[in-house]
Amino acid sequence: MNGFLMSTDRRPMLLMTPALLWLFGLMVVPCLLILVLAFFRRGIYGGIEYTWTFENIALVFDPLYFQIFMKSAGIAGLSAAIACVLGYAAAYAIAAMPRRHQPLLLFFAVLPFWSNYLVRTYAWIVLLNREGLIVNLARWIGYEGELPSMLYTEQAVVIGLVYNYLPFVILSCYAPLSRLSPEIAEASRDLGGSAWTTFRRVTLPMTVPGIATGFVFVFVLSIGNFVTPALLGGGQFQMIGNLVYAQFLTANDWPFGAALSMVLIAVMLGLLMGQAVVAERASGGKRAPDG
Amino acid sequence: MSDAFLSIKDVNKTFGSVHAVDGVSLDIHENEFFALLGASGSGKTTLLRMLAGFEDLSGGDVVLEGASIAALPPNRRPVNLMFQSYALFPHMTVAQNIAYGLEMDRLPRAEITSRVAEILEVIQLGHLAKRKPDQLSGGQKQRVALARALVKRPKVLLLDEPLGALDKKLRSEMQLELKRLQHEFGITFIVVTHDQEEALVMADRIAIMRDGGLLQVGTPQDIYEAPETRFAADFIGVMNFLPVTAGDQGFVARDGSVILADRVNGTGGAIAAVRPERLVLGDRGQNTLRGTVTNTAYHGLDLLLHITTRLSDTPVIARMTAEMADHLRPEMGQEITLSWSAKDTHIFPA
Repeated sequence: MNGFLMSTDRRPMLLMTPALLWLFGLMVVPCLLILVLAFFRRGIYGGIEYTWTFENIALVFDPLYFQIFMKSAGIAGLSAAIACVLGYAAAYAIAAMPRRHQPLLLFFAVLPFWSNYLVRTYAWIVLLNREGLIVNLARWIGYEGELPSMLYTEQAVVIGLVYNYLPFVILSCYAPLSRLSPEIAEASRDLGGSAWTTFRRVTLPMTVPGIATGFVFVFVLSIGNFVTPALLGGGQFQMIGNLVYAQFLTANDWPFGAALSMVLIAVMLGLLMGQAVVAERASGGKRAPDG
Repeated sequence: MSDAFLSIKDVNKTFGSVHAVDGVSLDIHENEFFALLGASGSGKTTLLRMLAGFEDLSGGDVVLEGASIAALPPNRRPVNLMFQSYALFPHMTVAQNIAYGLEMDRLPRAEITSRVAEILEVIQLGHLAKRKPDQLSGGQKQRVALARALVKRPKVLLLDEPLGALDKKLRSEMQLELKRLQHEFGITFIVVTHDQEEALVMADRIAIMRDGGLLQVGTPQDIYEAPETRFAADFIGVMNFLPVTAGDQGFVARDGSVILADRVNGTGGAIAAVRPERLVLGDRGQNTLRGTVTNTAYHGLDLLLHITTRLSDTPVIARMTAEMADHLRPEMGQEITLSWSAKDTHIFPA
């Protein structure tokens, strides 16, 4: 098919130019600068010494730092997994509602986005605090014992990340679920599949791209996040985002900060490509190998 | 007739205040090719979906081989449905799509493989077994959907507008193909269609549906040659309608001539009807009409003459075989006399 963008007409290119220039100037160029920076040496009193080195990259894989990397990946992965389970369930429920109610329900699902990220995260401090709402609620119900502090723990960080990014997953899962023809599920039932088998073998595989997109989204946003770990983790531990932040703003080691960023970006790109492969497979893509 | 194979007993379906299916009773025989024929909104698809188990019955019962299936969920009914949209699983290959229903029956792997290969042979798509549905043409998808439903060897196969998405030539090929498969597999087919020609060609019996009810049930010949209502007469094939008034001498046409009729349906006859192919040239029958040729429509197989008469506001249509047309060479504006016999006249109430 000769699509709009494949036409020989140059005008579409003209329309794209401002956006491309913007992206190139403010995204591609800074990224390249950071990439280059990662291969320079740090000056003795801060600043940059312009001699080539692989030391910064090697240092990322030093156990001290690599452990932070792995821990960040763990927290990001856990948050993404929890968000996917909760988000898929919510999206499934919304898609099962009468069509005319769905826009309103989606609006409610993304409503938190309309408030400030910091405000939302501070709200969790109020909730999780030693004298916070959740503890008071437990007392009110009649719980007498000692309550462990929930604030400034790894769990608090996961809760904060899941809460903040859940709407992404709801939206990314809702898209394929709402496009699913009811007749596909009916066909499975007609051919002898129970409701559960139909979900497992038809609905779920056909909507996996939405889950993959949501997972990668939450993972990527979480692994680089430095606000939530700082506020809800209370400096008990560092995530990779905090480490990058510290290299640039307090340790004044820009080359190492750049190296950390580069490895992070590489991980993210890898994940995005994985997600693209999942999406391609599930769509029964036209480029599938021929029998 | 002995006990019916599939018995639909006073089945009702209401959506709010709308009666989608209104007191339908039907007995369908084993190995019968049965067509539910009706316009959209006639309730035919709702009835089919009730047989498949996708709509609850608001009233009545469905009995298959003596046992009620009305309360069974779709996956527990020995009935399969071929969807109008085909509803193939896009993430599975052709072979996986066809195997799905057999896997649900927990058949041994070897049997599944051989039955899938066998049915692929029947629909002549063995070479496309590893394709995904997106890589198939419309006709190929249609055959995969058919194979997927047939391979389970259901007691009844339900087909919802099975040929609706195909082009005309492929459609007439598939009409015969469906009939052949139905014979070969010895399965009862119930097909829903809005295409009267399709129903006439394929079905052993036809039920005409209108407003959720059955208008007439019979063989294609019954339905075509002896329609019981004006709607059925109009819906199936081409029919000429001539307004009449019932008088002492019989049925009087607009020009004052008396129309003789053997088939009088109901009382208070107000309209006479005759098929185009029953009109013959010249004054040779019991009923005669005269008029002017105002249009001709050439179909290759035959030639349809549109004749303006004093008998009705719309032109009367007469069919001439190619041979007759060669002989007569009808021209626009030509005066013509046609006649027909009383046995071919139908009379319907207003």
